[in-house]
Amino acid sequence: MANILGVGQSGLAAAQVGITTTGHNITNASTPGYSRQLVIQGSKGGQQIGSGFQGQGTDVVAIQRSYDDFTASRVNASQTSKASLDTYNAQISQIDNLFADPTTGLSPTLQDFFGGIQGLAADPGSAAQRQTLLSSGESLVSRFRSLDGQLGQISDGVNKQILGSVTNINSFSQQIAKLNDSIVKATASGSGAVPNDLLDQRDLLVTQLSKEVKVNVSDQPGTGYNISIGNGQPLVIGNATFTLQVTPSVTDQNRLEVGYLTPAGLTRLPESAVTGGNLGGLFDFRAGTLDSARNELGRVAYGLASQINDQSRLGLDQNGVQGKNFFGIPGPQVTASSLNTGNASVGATVTNASALTASDYRVAFDGAKYNITRLKDNTVVSSSSFPVTVDGIAFATSGTGVSAAGDSYLVRPTINAASGISVALTDKTEIAAAAPIVTGAGVTVPSTGPSTNGGNGKISAGSVDANFTSLTAPVTLTFNAGKLTSSTGVPATQTYVSGQNITFGGITFNITGAPINGDTFTIAPNTTGVGDGRNAVALGALQTKPLFDNNSNTFASAFGLLVSNVGNKAREVSVNAAAEAKLLSNAVALQQSQSGVNLDEEASNLLRYQQAYQAAGKLMQTAGTLFDVLLGLGR
Amino acid sequence: MRISTNSFYENAGGKISELQSSLAQKQAQIATGRRIQTPSDDPVAASAALDVKQADGVNTQFAANRDSAKNALNLQETALTQYTDLLQNIKTLTVAAGNGALDDSQRKYFADQLNNDYQSLLGIANTQDSSGKYIFAGYKNTTQPFNQTATGVNYAGDQGQRLLQVSTSRQIALNDSGDAVFQNIRTGNGTFVAAAGAANTGSGIASSGSVTDASKLTGDTYSVDFTIAGGVTSFKVFDVTKDPTKSSALAASGPFTPGQSIAFDGLQFDISGTPASGDTFAVKPSSNQSIFQTVADLITTLSASTAGPTAKANLAAGLSVANNNVSSALDSALTVRASGGARLKELDTLDSEGADRGLQYATRLSSLQDLDYAKAITELTQQQVTLQAAQQSFVKIANLSLFDYIK
Repeated sequence: MANILGVGQSGLAAAQVGITTTGHNITNASTPGYSRQLVIQGSKGGQQIGSGFQGQGTDVVAIQRSYDDFTASRVNASQTSKASLDTYNAQISQIDNLFADPTTGLSPTLQDFFGGIQGLAADPGSAAQRQTLLSSGESLVSRFRSLDGQLGQISDGVNKQILGSVTNINSFSQQIAKLNDSIVKATASGSGAVPNDLLDQRDLLVTQLSKEVKVNVSDQPGTGYNISIGNGQPLVIGNATFTLQVTPSVTDQNRLEVGYLTPAGLTRLPESAVTGGNLGGLFDFRAGTLDSARNELGRVAYGLASQINDQSRLGLDQNGVQGKNFFGIPGPQVTASSLNTGNASVGATVTNASALTASDYRVAFDGAKYNITRLKDNTVVSSSSFPVTVDGIAFATSGTGVSAAGDSYLVRPTINAASGISVALTDKTEIAAAAPIVTGAGVTVPSTGPSTNGGNGKISAGSVDANFTSLTAPVTLTFNAGKLTSSTGVPATQTYVSGQNITFGGITFNITGAPINGDTFTIAPNTTGVGDGRNAVALGALQTKPLFDNNSNTFASAFGLLVSNVGNKAREVSVNAAAEAKLLSNAVALQQSQSGVNLDEEASNLLRYQQAYQAAGKLMQTAGTLFDVLLGLGR
Repeated sequence: MRISTNSFYENAGGKISELQSSLAQKQAQIATGRRIQTPSDDPVAASAALDVKQADGVNTQFAANRDSAKNALNLQETALTQYTDLLQNIKTLTVAAGNGALDDSQRKYFADQLNNDYQSLLGIANTQDSSGKYIFAGYKNTTQPFNQTATGVNYAGDQGQRLLQVSTSRQIALNDSGDAVFQNIRTGNGTFVAAAGAANTGSGIASSGSVTDASKLTGDTYSVDFTIAGGVTSFKVFDVTKDPTKSSALAASGPFTPGQSIAFDGLQFDISGTPASGDTFAVKPSSNQSIFQTVADLITTLSASTAGPTAKANLAAGLSVANNNVSSALDSALTVRASGGARLKELDTLDSEGADRGLQYATRLSSLQDLDYAKAITELTQQQVTLQAAQQSFVKIANLSLFDYIK
């Protein structure tokens, strides 16, 4: 009798465990990271009773969680890629439309500015036109600044997010280490049974850590998970953790990097060692898009300012004074590494704005020579002596300082251009609309009477180039016996050829037609030519002149290139993110098909265990009835 | 495959949210009429659209420049029309003043009228545009270019031609300097001037002459000297540039009959009337003389008394010179007007070209970034149906639970 009761009792107990576990599953159906648990029942075995082995009931062998390492690691890997792409996507979408927007982009103000120049060319003496140009210059400058300011804010945001991400990583590492410890202890005290819910919590933390950065996980029997990042830098070993720390770059205080805290001190991790997850996405975005977008914007600003300035300086303002720079523009930024031991001062100046690239450069001294690395494509130019010119930038040392081997400098040619561009002119009369020279045939300039020339020779209006410094007194060329002779000896006496360019002191002109002996042609300083808009016309022509990338792109097309680069990258990232989302959802579906709770299934389990419980109870009732029969026999 | 309850809800939620997001994007496209919302939607088209917009902006700017140029050229044309009309008046008056029946006082009326015309000329030459700039001053358009002084009219402008970019490859001149219009007018026939000496006492008058062989022209100054010996008038021609002492006469020298043609070194003219002994005629290369000088000379000529044959000859010679010079001025003005007219015509051609180009840009921009409404609305409806179906089926399936049947 006792035997039957024992069997029934084992059934009741097992059914209770089943019902409890089913209840656990039902209640945790939407708990993140939860793996459904299964009750593994086994037969208690038999007892020899002579005629054979008689069953002794059932036993709960284990409560297992339904979990597969392989599918879980696929989810984590996919999670890492997707988090990285999502972060990149979220960041780049902030600047995707920033540049191209029809109202806030650069193009409308650029067009307005050149419209202002054309307006001035049409009416160079007009105060209103001059004011319009000055104002449109101001709005162009402020548009550059505001665009760069927004990129700066995004850069600050990236720094904050790096901080947040590293804090998360450290926190997850610590929690995982604690759980490692708890799991080891619980396993030891549970005589081999594993604490399923703690395992779930730990795996959830690994998934969350994977969202921040790509990690490698290995399960060490007896100590728990070992977790490392990058090239094997450990974050968690058993119950111990290693801390990541955020630190400013050695060459740029405003740029946060990640270091690895070891007992020996802080080891900087190269950005290439930190991949995947939010942190990897932030680094990718900063290096792949943000830096180049800022540099590219700066490059457009620098190119525009330097070309307009060069032409402005060749002109003459309304006061008859040689033109000044229209824009103020900061030059390259050079920062010495804070780790440098030498005291040399390395400088960089732009010598050819057209050859500028959007890349930064690293100058490293190896003890014998300077290696200049273009960071965009890691092309290296080595030189044992300065100055040396690379991509339109002259690198030079100044002062008496000496570089020590291992010293390095970061040169960012255009990083400050968009934020630092300003209108240098303070008064509208300072706009150089006129050309500095006037020409005349048969008159001393300024003329008072009709031309004294007998021939029909004509002198062109002339132009000046970068070699022009100033012309203080008129130069008169006299035609005689087929030769032109200068009143000042410059240019040298030469044979007259109709239409042939004559150049001296940066001035170029030509004489056409048939002069006769004694005819004179004069080139004189332009003194009161307020109606002269020749330099304004030359300024306006810069709009459609290809001046970028070694004279293959205009201002607008260089800017268009920036828009399309960012747009292409944004599209690429968003397409990849969508693809990765699909992969992730597949991986999660597979993982969930194994580990997820299905309520209908649990309902059927509930019915099953309920019936098992009822049946076991019935068995015990039967045993009771049988016992009653025996008791009745004695009555 | 097993479906966990959790992933059923998550999947359904995710799909519905995707559908909603693409609906929202479609709606934004329809609301703005633009296919490209951000450059990432179509980076190539977005960048091309920027290029087209810039080209269109430049095109519009050139159209504005052409308007400025047309204004300036039309203003100049108006001034030059007045100028040529005035010159024609002066020419008519010059011819009328040659009428031998007029006496000195009647010619004085002509001189008075010419004085008025002189002031009108000065007014035209100092024409200002709507913003007060002098249109015939070259670059110095805030300085009054023509100023009356004791010795005549001085020019204070320069020879500058203001240029404006009116198409990508064309700069057009907005003005012609006052120097070119009013000052650089060739005297005589444009090559040489034959004029009677101031001390002449005879009534000989030189015609304006012509060039017979341009290759033989020397550009030298000649003197034609008359002597009367034994009742025979003869003349000698000297090249005073090469031979200032008049040591050897040229081969053209010989006896003179009134109206005789005198030809040497590729040029030819005749002298009518009867020169006195010792009279000289100078033949000089043409020079430039302003219209003001010409008119001033004409006034002097008309104001002078005509008593005596020499004075009469002076009047005739003066009128002939004036007639020549005014004709030259007319030629010169008409040349400037023709060139201005050609520029205006070119601007019209460039205008229609620019308008065509603007249309092309608009079409291209539209094809790059505008939305195909028919297609977009079809897609919107389709997505709407899909979303409704997804929502309805989700609610139906979510309501299926085994627990409902456990009583």
